[in-house]
Amino acid sequence: MKVLVLGAGEVGFHLAKRLSEENQDVVVIESDPERADFASQQLDVLTVVGNGASLPVLEKAGISNASMLLSVTSKDEVNLIASMAAKKFGVQHVVARISNPEYYGEGSVLSQEQMGIDLMINPERECARETFDLLRSEIATDVVPFADGRVHLVGLKVKEGAPVAGKTLAELAKDLHDHHYATVAIVRDGKTHIPRSDSKIHAGDQLYLLSPTAEIEDIAPLAGYKPSRLRRVMIAGGSAEGEYLAQILDTKGIECTILDRDRRRCLELADRLPHALVLHADATDLELLEMEGVAGIDGFVAATGSDETNLLSSLLAKTAGAQKVVSLVHKFEYLRLIPRVGVDASVSPRMSTVNAILRYVRRGHVVTVAELTSTDAETIEYRVDEESAIAGKMLREVHFPKDAVIGTILRGDEIILPRGDDRVLPGDDVIVFALPAAVSEVEQLFS
Amino acid sequence: MSLARVANVVGLLQVFVSLSMFVAAGVAFVYGDGDALGILLAGAVTFFVGGFTYALTMFEGELTPREGFAIVTMAWTAAAAFGALPYLFTGALGSPIAAFFEAMSGFTTTGATIFAEIEVLPHGVLFWRSLTQWLGGMGIIVLVIAVLPYLGVGGMQLFKAEVPGPTPERLRPRITQTAKLLWLVYVGLTAAETVLYLLGGMSLFDAVNHSFTTLASGGFSTRDASIASFDSPYIHWVTIVFMYLAGVNFALHFRAATGRPVYFRDHEWRFYTYIVVLAALAIAVVNLTSGSYSAVEPAVRHALFQATSITTTTGFVIADYELWVPGSQMVLFALFFVGGMAGSTGGGIKTMRLLLLVKQTAIELRKHLHPKAVLLIRVGDKTVKQEVLANVTGFVILYLLLCLAGAVVLGFLGMDPMTSIAASIATVGNVGPAFGDVGATDNYGWMSDPALVVLSFFMLVGRLEIYTVLLLFHPETWKARRSFH
Repeated sequence: MKVLVLGAGEVGFHLAKRLSEENQDVVVIESDPERADFASQQLDVLTVVGNGASLPVLEKAGISNASMLLSVTSKDEVNLIASMAAKKFGVQHVVARISNPEYYGEGSVLSQEQMGIDLMINPERECARETFDLLRSEIATDVVPFADGRVHLVGLKVKEGAPVAGKTLAELAKDLHDHHYATVAIVRDGKTHIPRSDSKIHAGDQLYLLSPTAEIEDIAPLAGYKPSRLRRVMIAGGSAEGEYLAQILDTKGIECTILDRDRRRCLELADRLPHALVLHADATDLELLEMEGVAGIDGFVAATGSDETNLLSSLLAKTAGAQKVVSLVHKFEYLRLIPRVGVDASVSPRMSTVNAILRYVRRGHVVTVAELTSTDAETIEYRVDEESAIAGKMLREVHFPKDAVIGTILRGDEIILPRGDDRVLPGDDVIVFALPAAVSEVEQLFS
Repeated sequence: MSLARVANVVGLLQVFVSLSMFVAAGVAFVYGDGDALGILLAGAVTFFVGGFTYALTMFEGELTPREGFAIVTMAWTAAAAFGALPYLFTGALGSPIAAFFEAMSGFTTTGATIFAEIEVLPHGVLFWRSLTQWLGGMGIIVLVIAVLPYLGVGGMQLFKAEVPGPTPERLRPRITQTAKLLWLVYVGLTAAETVLYLLGGMSLFDAVNHSFTTLASGGFSTRDASIASFDSPYIHWVTIVFMYLAGVNFALHFRAATGRPVYFRDHEWRFYTYIVVLAALAIAVVNLTSGSYSAVEPAVRHALFQATSITTTTGFVIADYELWVPGSQMVLFALFFVGGMAGSTGGGIKTMRLLLLVKQTAIELRKHLHPKAVLLIRVGDKTVKQEVLANVTGFVILYLLLCLAGAVVLGFLGMDPMTSIAASIATVGNVGPAFGDVGATDNYGWMSDPALVVLSFFMLVGRLEIYTVLLLFHPETWKARRSFH
């Protein structure tokens, strides 16, 4: 499949990297020669230097025989123009990154179909949604919905003295026979392991489970956390992500305080968020944070435009006693830093965009895919059809790669924890957890 | 300030006033009480004076804001002066000052009257009395803007100065169209009430007159005992409903008429309705438990009637509320300050201003809890601008000071404290009847000339919402703008 990636910023670069690793033909279009050069050196892709909204450039990149265009520059207008052009050339799948809400939804001049866009991604809003999921399951480092939200992938750190610590998966399965958790990965010392039934869980492990949505709340006590509810959230930084998050919290009836150091932005926020308390203050003003009750607050989100400020602000909030602290991180390099410094979780608008687009890219067989913060493994949801190699076979007969595992099978309303004698049937949705090296092998089984 | 421009517009407006006198003369002629000639003469005098002023001056260039204020104030004063002529020429009143007061009370929709006996007056004079209120209710200038596009861009200045409320709404891009639509709704509601009155057995004359004064939230009646002389609960309920409607923003009525009944979504509407209903409920309960009333229906009807009448500043009476227990009387007293919604025909402070004040107070309290909070006041989904809030606060303070000053002046003129306070508040608020010697069953006829002049001024200041009139007394209004070239 030939994929055109417009823009070699962090989002475009990361997408190109992922797709080329999966043996797709990727052409990257980038207007900045230096960035283009960097991409062509680092990645196994073709680069074209030029404006993605210009016809000669698109033609040079081979738009006429491309089957997918990912317009992910930071300029909405360029993405829109390129997308509209792509549809004219008969590109099958068009994905555009659009940040300005005036360009989509009710208020837009053209509908999504008219613009020829199959998937529109608003990075800031995507990120806010992810932040909310993280806040809601207070202990989790990652929460990703699968199968239309019936199953969630939950990542969490096992606490000292937790009930699960020191047990093997087989023992655990016996203890929790009335639950439907599938432990799909254990991350220890930065290395991701696909666990077997004799793998042992240690305190301090980063655990990834697939859980039916109804059972998520029971996970916290198992990992040694006290369950609690989300009632009050403070957002330090009135960025677009912060505003979207405040909107989501408002619709859920959760009390929200949002602060920004720019007075005009505060007025704007106060105007648009009637139920939130808007404060004109700095995200790192500890005295103010404490006065506004950061101690014991259910959720604290550092969402300014500066990663450094967010990190500091998160640490201050954590020290002051906030229950769950999420930091907004823009630079991919910083993402790995977050768990080490004691901040509970991080979100990145670009990472959210990459996730959302990757989920779409593998559509057809793949329904959902998620990238996680502390592992480079992927969780992929496949729809099984008649032609899938795996269809109808008993699982123990299938030669399934060592670095991948089938977490859950969804058949109609049923949620099945697969065992060796289970079969995967056409029409099933299957959630697979796989290390990057195993992805293409898994893909073949399902195609 | 160009006096020629001001005089030009004021003159034209008097021509309109004279036309309405000719209508009253027509009514007088039909009923043949012998007052037709007097009213016709008054109309002729007004027509010629106004017409000459208009013809002898030129309207060139554009209106400045100060000219706008001057025009509105002077036009209303002139209208009251000429409007007094029918009373004088028909012999209904002998004193020019009393006649001026009666006319001013009419145009400002106050409803305070000189006449102790009303039913003895000829039909033409009664009709003229009601007509002044009806014209003043939606506004003479709004009417002229609706009919004549001649004021052009400057129309908005005049419109703003005459339509009550902190920020008048535009229904259409053109001010002429907006004015037209408002008058259309006004005429429609008046017609509806007239029909309902006729169905209740009222005579055509009474029905038209009372519809005029209900929709204007004026309160002049053709009967000595006001609405109480119609011993029909049906008529009372019809009056309650239309007094209530007159106190609602006419822009909302217009939207409802065009198929969008958005009353419930309007926060000011809810506030206004809460006030009326809660006050009426309180009065009914107090009156029932204190034994002033024994049956529930009359108690509720009378309470709702009086609460609506005072809140909307209409001033109709069906019960002598001064005989009620003090609790009920004080609830009514509080309602004297409320007024209708912004954009209604009611007077008073207006519920929008009160709503904003209440919200501002709540925010001040919240500010103590969160010193760094950025708090905005919003009504519905609209954020209220800081300038509007300052304007509202200033208005309410001025309003209360004016009431107080008025009471002091009336005290100097020899009135007892209760009457001084009541008359002052009732005229500034354009209500009419109040307490003490100007109570439910009293009139203003006994007052001295100086008192009548002072109260006429208060009625005008209240109707034009203080700033418009007071600006004329600001020295800068009269200074020419300095040019440095």
